[in-house]
Amino acid sequence: MTAEVGSPDPQVSPDHPVTGLDDVVHQRVRLGILTIAHEARRVEFGYLRTQLQLTAGNLSQHVGVLEAAGLVEVEKGYAGRRGRTWITLTAAGGTALAEEIGRLKLLIARVETTGTREDR
Amino acid sequence: MTTNSVSAGGDPRRLLADVRALARRVRVDRRVTWVALLALAVVTLAAIPIDWYSLDADCGRVLADGGCHIRRLDRAFYWLPALLVAYSAIAAYAVRVARARGLGVRVLPYVLTGVALAVLSAAAWLLASLYWGSHPVPAHPLPSWMLVLDGLIGPAGTIGVALLVLAWLERNAALLVFTLGYLAVVLVPVDSVRLPPFGYLSDLLLPQVINGAVLLLGAAGFAVARRRHR
Repeated sequence: MTAEVGSPDPQVSPDHPVTGLDDVVHQRVRLGILTIAHEARRVEFGYLRTQLQLTAGNLSQHVGVLEAAGLVEVEKGYAGRRGRTWITLTAAGGTALAEEIGRLKLLIARVETTGTREDR
Repeated sequence: MTTNSVSAGGDPRRLLADVRALARRVRVDRRVTWVALLALAVVTLAAIPIDWYSLDADCGRVLADGGCHIRRLDRAFYWLPALLVAYSAIAAYAVRVARARGLGVRVLPYVLTGVALAVLSAAAWLLASLYWGSHPVPAHPLPSWMLVLDGLIGPAGTIGVALLVLAWLERNAALLVFTLGYLAVVLVPVDSVRLPPFGYLSDLLLPQVINGAVLLLGAAGFAVARRRHR
């Protein structure tokens, strides 16, 4: 099932954290890429592939989406004779990641508050 | 991991837990804790023979407890360059390891912290030397706060503070616990232990042997833990 995040939904109030979710970032693999790139400053394609347990093609697609959105920069080079691809988080990527994490925390807080009210 | 977008009903707790786990994984993969401890242990243990030959002991000067007036000249020419070399070596190794694992690394905060602490320690020693050069030596036993302060601005204390900063930067709880134990060994004043063949030298050199041994054991412990983890 694919989320139509941000689409108008009469059940969702405009100030609900779900309404602000960015479809590009609110995806487990892409969120993982942004998180690793943020923590590492600069990360090699092979490391991402191992950590996220993806095929090269699959990872390329996700990196491409993030690059097109201006959230990461991709740099190709060599380490000795081996070709290497490095992914770096852009300033926009850092902001998008921080906002996504903020919204996730808000969502959790909302769920917990609702759960507490229902328990009463 | 899946390639599909997260469903609107996806669990934000799980996403957040994944984010935290990945960030932690990167931090763990980048750590070179055992190498840092090994380098600092080597610097500490290498100081012992240098201290031995460079001690300036004036036992003709009568102190309140009949002891010797001792100046440790190694602080002037050994510790500052040795710590700077050690911090640079640790940073260079960290960069090499991170690159080999496919990660970038921020070494500047580590290097700047280490250099700042080493320079501050040397400056504090210089000021203390100038002060005690023109003021009477206090009667023994020295107050505990003075011994703790002396330990903190000394090379072993500086290493401890640098390790505390490293533990904070790396969010490394194990290193934090180890460093608190190390600082307790360094800062808690203990009664003098005089070994007959060494006299007053054992008072001065034994703590260095203990500090170096603690760092060495820490390096071994972290190396074993890393091996098991991988």
